[in-house]
Amino acid sequence: MAEARIIIDIAHISKVYTMGEEQVHALRDVSLQIRAGEYVALMGPSGSGKSTLMNMLGCLDTPSSGHYSFDGEDVSTMDDDDLAAIRNRDIGFVFQTFNLLPRASALRNVELPLVYAGVGASERERRAEEALENVGLGERMHHRPNELSGGQRQRVAIARALVTNPSIILADEPTGNLDSRTGQEIMTLFGNLWRSGHTVILVTHEEDIARHARRIVRLRDGLVESDTPNTQTP
Amino acid sequence: MNVAESIWMAVDAVRAQKLRSGLTLLSISIGVFAIIASTSITTSLQEAVSGQMASLGEHSFLIQRTPTLTFGSSWRKYMKRKPISYPQALEFKRLMGLDAIVSISNTNPGFTIKAGNESTDPDVALIGIDDQYFTVNAVSLSDGRTITPHDVDFQRPVAIIGNDVITKLFPSISGSVLGRSITIRNQLFTIIGVLETKGGVLGQSQDNRVLIPMTNFVKYYTWEWDQSVDVSVRAVSRDALMSTVDEAIGIMRALRDVKPWEENTFELDTNEALSSQFSGFSTALLIVAWISGLGALAAAGIGIMNMMLVSVKERTREIGLRKALGARRPWIIRQFLVESITLCQLGGMAGTIAGVGTAWMITMLFRSSGMSDITFAFPWSAILFSVVACTMIGLGFGIYPAFKAATLDPIEALRYE
Repeated sequence: MAEARIIIDIAHISKVYTMGEEQVHALRDVSLQIRAGEYVALMGPSGSGKSTLMNMLGCLDTPSSGHYSFDGEDVSTMDDDDLAAIRNRDIGFVFQTFNLLPRASALRNVELPLVYAGVGASERERRAEEALENVGLGERMHHRPNELSGGQRQRVAIARALVTNPSIILADEPTGNLDSRTGQEIMTLFGNLWRSGHTVILVTHEEDIARHARRIVRLRDGLVESDTPNTQTP
Repeated sequence: MNVAESIWMAVDAVRAQKLRSGLTLLSISIGVFAIIASTSITTSLQEAVSGQMASLGEHSFLIQRTPTLTFGSSWRKYMKRKPISYPQALEFKRLMGLDAIVSISNTNPGFTIKAGNESTDPDVALIGIDDQYFTVNAVSLSDGRTITPHDVDFQRPVAIIGNDVITKLFPSISGSVLGRSITIRNQLFTIIGVLETKGGVLGQSQDNRVLIPMTNFVKYYTWEWDQSVDVSVRAVSRDALMSTVDEAIGIMRALRDVKPWEENTFELDTNEALSSQFSGFSTALLIVAWISGLGALAAAGIGIMNMMLVSVKERTREIGLRKALGARRPWIIRQFLVESITLCQLGGMAGTIAGVGTAWMITMLFRSSGMSDITFAFPWSAILFSVVACTMIGLGFGIYPAFKAATLDPIEALRYE
C-alpha cells in the first residue's frame, strides 16, 4: 500500500520568545512529519514546548526560523489573514475548555466556521445538523451550552471541528475538563473519527489519553525526545 | 458572512448587557430626541404662523407703540413710550391724506359678552375699528355689513362678531344672528356683521372677538393706562409701499415730536418684518436644540467607544475563538462596527419615537388651544439626519475598539481569563 500524503511537514523549526531581557527558546530545531490518516499524540510536561508546537501546527503562530508546509503550502511566512483562511479550511480545533459561544445554540456554534467560510445559511444549517448527528447530538442541537453536560459540550465542539471537513483535527487536552468516564466516551469518539479516515492530533500530558493514539511524540525542553508508534491501544 | 448575521450578533450582545447598553443608548436617544422634536415643532409653528400671523393685508403695515412680538427684556423701553392717542392717530390719518388708506383700531382683551341669559368667558377680544379696517387688514365678513363712516362719527351701537362668540351666545340659533342684541359692560349693541372664520395664531383664536366703532371703543372701553391705538396703513400699490413707509415714519415722528437724533418712539411692522421676527425666534430655538442635541450625541459617542472597549475586553476569548475558527481581521472589524452602529441606531430609534411623539403631542396642544391652522410636520429630514449621524457616530467611535479586537493575538486571546 502506497504511503498516504504528508499533511504536516515541519523542518528544523525553532521559536524564540523575548520576555523582557531574556530570550526563551520554546522550540529548538524541531522536525516532524504527519501523514493523512494518522492518529498522533503530542506529549510533554509543561514548558516542554508542547503548546508552542500545537499553536504552530494549528497555524495560530509562525516559527522564528525553519519551514512549515501544510499540505504542500508554505505557511511559515503567511500573514494573519491567510493563516485564518488555512485554519478555517483545514484545521478543526477542539479545546480543553470547549470554547463555545454561551448565548448561541449548539447548531449556531457548529455553524460558526462555515460562516467564516462564506457558506450560505441553508447549506450551513444542513451541514451543522449532519455534524451534530455524527457526534450523537442530533436531539439537542437547539440547546444552549449551559443546557448541556460537559461531555455534550465537548461533542458540540467536536462537531464544530468536523463541520468544515478539515484535513486535521487538533485537540488540545480534550478530556482535561471532563470526568474519566465522559473522557473515555470522548476518546472513543476520536477513535471512531480516526477509523473513519480523519487525521487526529491529540495534545495531552496524560499517558492514559495518549495511549489511544497510534503514534506518540514526546517533547522535552523544546526538542523532540521520542517519536514512537503505539501498539498498546486500549 | 452577511451583514444580517452581524446585526443579529449585535442585538444579541445588546441583550446580554441590557443595563450598560441602555445607559449608553440613553444619551443617543436624548440627542436624537432634541433634534427631531425641535425640528418638527418649529417647522409646524413656522408653517402655521407664516401664513396666519400676518393678519395685515397686502402692501400694508402697522404702526404701534410696541412691537407685535417681543423676545427679550426690552419691554421697559417700550413701556416708557407715550401712547399713540386716538386724536394723534386721526391727525396722522389726515396728514397722510390720499397717499394711503389708514385704519385706526385698538384691541383690549378679556371682555365678557352677554346676550339674554347666555354669556361668554371673560376672554373675548374687543376691537374698536373704523370704516377702513376691512380694507387694510386681511379680514373679511361672512355675513352682514361692515362699519361705515357714519357708524364711527355718530357712535352707533353696532357690532361685528366672530364665530366663537356666536357659538357661546346663540347656541340654539342655526340661522343668521344679524339684528340681535349683545351687551358689553352694560352697553347694548346690535349685531350687523359676522366675521369669516380664521382660526388661531399662537394659541389665540381670531374668531373669539367683537368689533365695534372706534368712537364707542374709545369712550367706553379704553383704560386710562393704555390708550394707545394701532394704526394700519395700506399703500396704494406694492411699488409705493416703501415710499409710503417713509412718509408715515416722517409724519409720525413730527406728530410725536421725535428729535432728529432720537430713534423712533413707535414700531412699524410690515408683514415681512413680522414673519421674519418670528422665524428669527424659531431659528434661535432650533439652533439651541440642535447644539444641545449634537452635544448629547458627541457625549454618546464617547460612551459608545467606552462601551465597545469594555465589550472587546470582555469578549477577548470569543474573539480568540473566532480567529482560531478562521475569522479574518476585516470580518472582526466589521462585526464590531456593525455592533456599534446597531447600538447607535437602537438609541436613535428610541429618540426618534420619543421625539416624534412629543412633537405630535405639542402640536396637538397648540391646536386644541385654538391654533387650528397648525398641522403636524413629520420631521423626515431630521430623522434622515439622525440615522446618518448615528451611523457616523457608530463608525467614528467604533473603529478604534473594532481595530483593537481585530488585531488581538489569537493565542493570547484564547488564553485570556
